Amino acid sequence: MLRTVKPRNARSKRALEAREAKEIEDVRTAIFVKGTHTGEIVNGVMKELMALKRPDAISFSKKNTIHPFEDASSLEFWAGKNDASIFLMGQSTKKRPAGLVIARMFDARVLDMCEFGVDRFVSMGEFKTPKSTPGHKPMIHFASELFDTHPRFIQVKTLLMDFFNGEVIEEICLPGLEHVISVSLAPAPSQPLPPILSTSQEEENVDNLPKIHIRTYTVSLLPSGTRIPRVELREMGPFLDLSLRRHQAADPEMWKAALRRPKLKKQDLEKGLGKKKKNMEVDEMGDLRGRVHIAKQDLGKLQTRKMKGLKSLGHGTFEDGDHGEDSEGEGESPRRKKRKRD
Amino acid sequence: MDVSNILASHAAKFQSVTVEKETPLDVDTGFLTVTDLTPIDEDSYKSNLEEYLQMTARDGIQALVAALYSLPTQPSPDGPLAQLPAPTTQLPRAKPLPKPKPPTKWERFAAAKGIQKRVREKKVWDEERQEWVNRWGKDGKNKEKEEQWIHEVKADAPVDHDPVKAARDARISRVAKNERQRLQNNARAQTAAGDREERKKDLEKTLATTRISTASMGRFDKKLDGEKKLRGVKRKFEAAETSVEQEKQASLAVLSKLDGDVKRARREKGSGDGVLNVRKAIRNVSKGKGGIALAREANRKGAKGKRGGKR
Repeated sequence: MLRTVKPRNARSKRALEAREAKEIEDVRTAIFVKGTHTGEIVNGVMKELMALKRPDAISFSKKNTIHPFEDASSLEFWAGKNDASIFLMGQSTKKRPAGLVIARMFDARVLDMCEFGVDRFVSMGEFKTPKSTPGHKPMIHFASELFDTHPRFIQVKTLLMDFFNGEVIEEICLPGLEHVISVSLAPAPSQPLPPILSTSQEEENVDNLPKIHIRTYTVSLLPSGTRIPRVELREMGPFLDLSLRRHQAADPEMWKAALRRPKLKKQDLEKGLGKKKKNMEVDEMGDLRGRVHIAKQDLGKLQTRKMKGLKSLGHGTFEDGDHGEDSEGEGESPRRKKRKRD
Repeated sequence: MDVSNILASHAAKFQSVTVEKETPLDVDTGFLTVTDLTPIDEDSYKSNLEEYLQMTARDGIQALVAALYSLPTQPSPDGPLAQLPAPTTQLPRAKPLPKPKPPTKWERFAAAKGIQKRVREKKVWDEERQEWVNRWGKDGKNKEKEEQWIHEVKADAPVDHDPVKAARDARISRVAKNERQRLQNNARAQTAAGDREERKKDLEKTLATTRISTASMGRFDKKLDGEKKLRGVKRKFEAAETSVEQEKQASLAVLSKLDGDVKRARREKGSGDGVLNVRKAIRNVSKGKGGIALAREANRKGAKGKRGGKR
């Protein structure tokens, strides 16, 4: 297209630039949508997850007829409009009561989705304990070996990490770490879990998959006598028990495109992201100071004063040891001369 | 005096900060995430769920906090800032990687010649006014010639020579040249991106539109040399006789466009094609009883008719 959308004023230009693709991305904005019917449980869950996700969350207050696994076009439309890339949908039907769907987008298209059923929900209000400050980054804890082996739980892990914490940051204020989101599984059943064959398989057997327990705690750091403080946890809420339902795995090609990383120079990586120059700093006087590292000097190779008398003798004895030193020494010297001329 | 509980609380304060697990915890400090790959202990899970979960979480977070507190820190007014390493977990991006901007003609030339990019300061020193002034823009240095109160004019200059206007024209033309070059760079970037054909088609379309966009639809316009007559789209007809295979393909293509029962039903459910409001129509025909009642009635009528026929 020859024509491009041209912003009319500086403000809209800035807004468009903020939406453009960046090398190091911002945190994902989440949209919370309600389906045609959400029960009391789903309403509560969405409200409290939103409280945890704030300020990067947008709430859609109206009900919508959405069936993300059948038709995801409205998700794509909303993602484009709101510059959001993760969705949390709540819907409660007779067939699937108290359902939550987390959908992740790439380039305003659905990358993957996972549906959960809420089995138990304990609200934040039921714990009379201090709560975390909104906007603080949580620490996330996963507990189970399945998060490393089973494809469904690997997906769940990355989805939850993306939902709560998927932002690359350079530094974190240590006293600002206030709360923990802990995700653990019920013990795996004794028989091996059914492997996922394909994504097209509509209703795979999910009854055998263990439940997911999501717990949130506040952290108190107690002095321990060492540099590292001792951690104590207190319940904060919400507490969720989820069971897995349908899912849609990512299209392999799209997944590959989504995992593409910018080429970062090695020195940038060493010094943290975005820093260009290594070993250079400006001191208090405003002078640029550099630090140069040199390898340890080999004094054996140091060129000292050349003396004819020392030359052949020293060379011969050093190289050949107890061989006939006269003949070897003479053979060596013309080669050395030639090399010098080169 | 009993100090045992004081001692106990003191001891609790200095409990160990180390965590021991059979499988080492997988700590990703970049994302503040820790993964405990130890299988869940079934007995303690069943006996006391909440306590077990909190205990495992505490162990994991203790390991994470230990990793975070051993990172290099920088002081700040709110407390120490830990410098985080790059995360080890690969999470998918939300948007594709930004494409590098194609170089302008000057940038390519500079690269070929090895010319380093040099940033010009926006302000320049004005000797007369003894202050820094803008190089361009408001009270810019580039308008100096136009704004000075006395001008040097050559002896053989024409009578109507206006030095102010000449200087202004020169400046304006420099601006115009820059704009032209910018547009050319944009166009070049697009052809490099591979939509040359698209651009050509676009240009042709624009040209065709402008040629018929006069009151006489281009009839009395001045013609240029070698300008071709504007032609519309020529109709093409299929050959009257084609091979069986081609005919079959054509028929199948038509058939595939027709809706099957399933597809049609689904579309009708979506209430009409925009002209007819199906819901309203059904309500009208069924006298407010609804579509299901109407269908039932129709079935009953059909059945009656059949029976009547038999008799």
